[in-house]
Amino acid sequence: MGVAEMKTVIETHHLTKKFHESFFALNDVSITIYEGEFVTVIGRSGSGKSTLLNIVGCLDQPSAGEVALNGSPVNYANAKQLVQLRRHTLGFVFQHFSLISSMTAQENIEYPLLFSGVSRSERRMRALAMLKQVGLADRATHLPGELSGGEQQRVAICRALISNPALILADEPTGNLDSTTSKGIVTLMQEINRDLGTTFLVVTHEASLWQDADRSIRLSDGRVIS
Amino acid sequence: MASVLDIGLLSLRHVTRKRLRFLLTVLGIAIGVAAVVGVVSLGEGVRTISLDMIKEQSDLSLVEVNADIRNGILIPITSQKIEEIRRDPHVRSIAPAVKQTYATERQTFISALNVEWPAADSVFSLVLLDGHAPASGAHEAVFGSDLAETLRRYEGIRIGDRFALLERGYAEDGRPADIRHEYILVGVLRERNDPLDTLMFTDSGAAGAPYDAIYCRITTPDQVFSFVERVDGLGLSSHGAFEQIRAVNRLFDVIVLVLSAFTGISLVIGGLMIMNTMIISVFERTREIGISMAIGASSRDVLGLILSECFVIGIIGGIVGNILGILFAGMINVVGRVFILEQLGPEFAGFAGADIIQITPFILGAGMVIAILLSLIAGVYPALKAARLHPADAIRWI
Repeated sequence: MGVAEMKTVIETHHLTKKFHESFFALNDVSITIYEGEFVTVIGRSGSGKSTLLNIVGCLDQPSAGEVALNGSPVNYANAKQLVQLRRHTLGFVFQHFSLISSMTAQENIEYPLLFSGVSRSERRMRALAMLKQVGLADRATHLPGELSGGEQQRVAICRALISNPALILADEPTGNLDSTTSKGIVTLMQEINRDLGTTFLVVTHEASLWQDADRSIRLSDGRVIS
Repeated sequence: MASVLDIGLLSLRHVTRKRLRFLLTVLGIAIGVAAVVGVVSLGEGVRTISLDMIKEQSDLSLVEVNADIRNGILIPITSQKIEEIRRDPHVRSIAPAVKQTYATERQTFISALNVEWPAADSVFSLVLLDGHAPASGAHEAVFGSDLAETLRRYEGIRIGDRFALLERGYAEDGRPADIRHEYILVGVLRERNDPLDTLMFTDSGAAGAPYDAIYCRITTPDQVFSFVERVDGLGLSSHGAFEQIRAVNRLFDVIVLVLSAFTGISLVIGGLMIMNTMIISVFERTREIGISMAIGASSRDVLGLILSECFVIGIIGGIVGNILGILFAGMINVVGRVFILEQLGPEFAGFAGADIIQITPFILGAGMVIAILLSLIAGVYPALKAARLHPADAIRWI
């Protein structure tokens, strides 16, 4: 399939994010990411990686420029649209402490479905199926504090996937893990990308991640440099 | 949108996460509710005792209807109004009467009621101890027991005696010119322990109008207040034991309200504790709220989550408060009864065995509603604060 025929999942045009008038966290960023791609965003601290992820993830709004998700423009003034995108189109994986400490692994995974009005039995069924898929079926009733870092991140990936989103946004998903565990998480994300066709946009410092990615976007001082 | 049950269970989980903090917050609101329940049940208990005493000592279904003055205009008792009252569905019998004051020749003052005897009998259930009823149109009189005893002892008037009574009148020049009446005492009533014991009854026949009063026997005491309203609609005034009940009710309404307002201060403190707890909770969970928003919670969901946590605190606070309130009221009943009955005076001695507190489902229900409402009000600010969090900033919060 040629690039021209591929469906775009993320499209940004001249995306700019300014803080305090003079500081540009993002400066005229235009990128296109296609369905099923595994793309990493790399760059030094303060280069604008997380800001890009937050804006694409509808958690923050740009100062200028446009974003389209799944071919539809995002209206950042429309809170309802942003919530719907976060519920159904996007999945998030954060670096650390992203699970809710009072909920078990299974409850954490089914948590996003609570806001979509999915019935309790279906939520449970889908969460258990996800846990089984990542080899954590026996940890369903464990609280995050009782899980290792790698297990917590697997649960977080399950939570991001539970709504069958078109796009997973991951902010340093292996940043808090040892190298062996990191490798496992990277493999898991790549398997999901390959098997389910889910698009990944991953902010990372991890060489193994960006080396195996379909492509990498390198940011420096808020600009795309390669 | 999440289901109410799911949100409720989630909220219960969240609020009980920090058990000691939760316990203290619940206790804060519960103590306020307990104070209100205790004080209100005491007020209601004493109100009930007072009303029972009035009911025991008064003839509640007897109402005296009088002419009234409204906006400076006298509204008299007319025969048309008498008929309207007679037709009232809650009136069992009526006795229109003329009130008169006489003095004997030895200056003993007598209050007399000129009324058709059968009508008076049907309203007052008169029982003659001695003699017979006065004949209609004749100058015959029947004395109440106390009056009969007084006049027998000091003026030697006995059944069958003819006696003179003076009615105060005035001559054309304004000087007193008493009118002399002569009556024969034909009967004495059995002692009733009510104001009728001091009255003299005469029956001058149906032509007694204009009437000063209509004595009405109402079917049941419960119907008196609605009857009084209808009488008021006729422009007439009503008097009777129901006025004491109304006055006692008004008095206790004010007492209970004032006491509740004082104890309500502890409720306000409880509310502030909830607000403080929820503000701290929102602060501590900033990142968690940000993550919830990132995975699909809307601002409204976050608002609902925080408010439902307050709702859970309110429900548990209300239940615990009601239990503590029942214990508190029970303690007042056991420890405070002797003291309170002593203060109320010897008239209340008969209630030494009765409960001075009265806990009703309404009081407990009100306790629950107050606890829940107060918790929700206290939660509005922290909930809005949480709902207005910027997701990207909240997620960065560690």
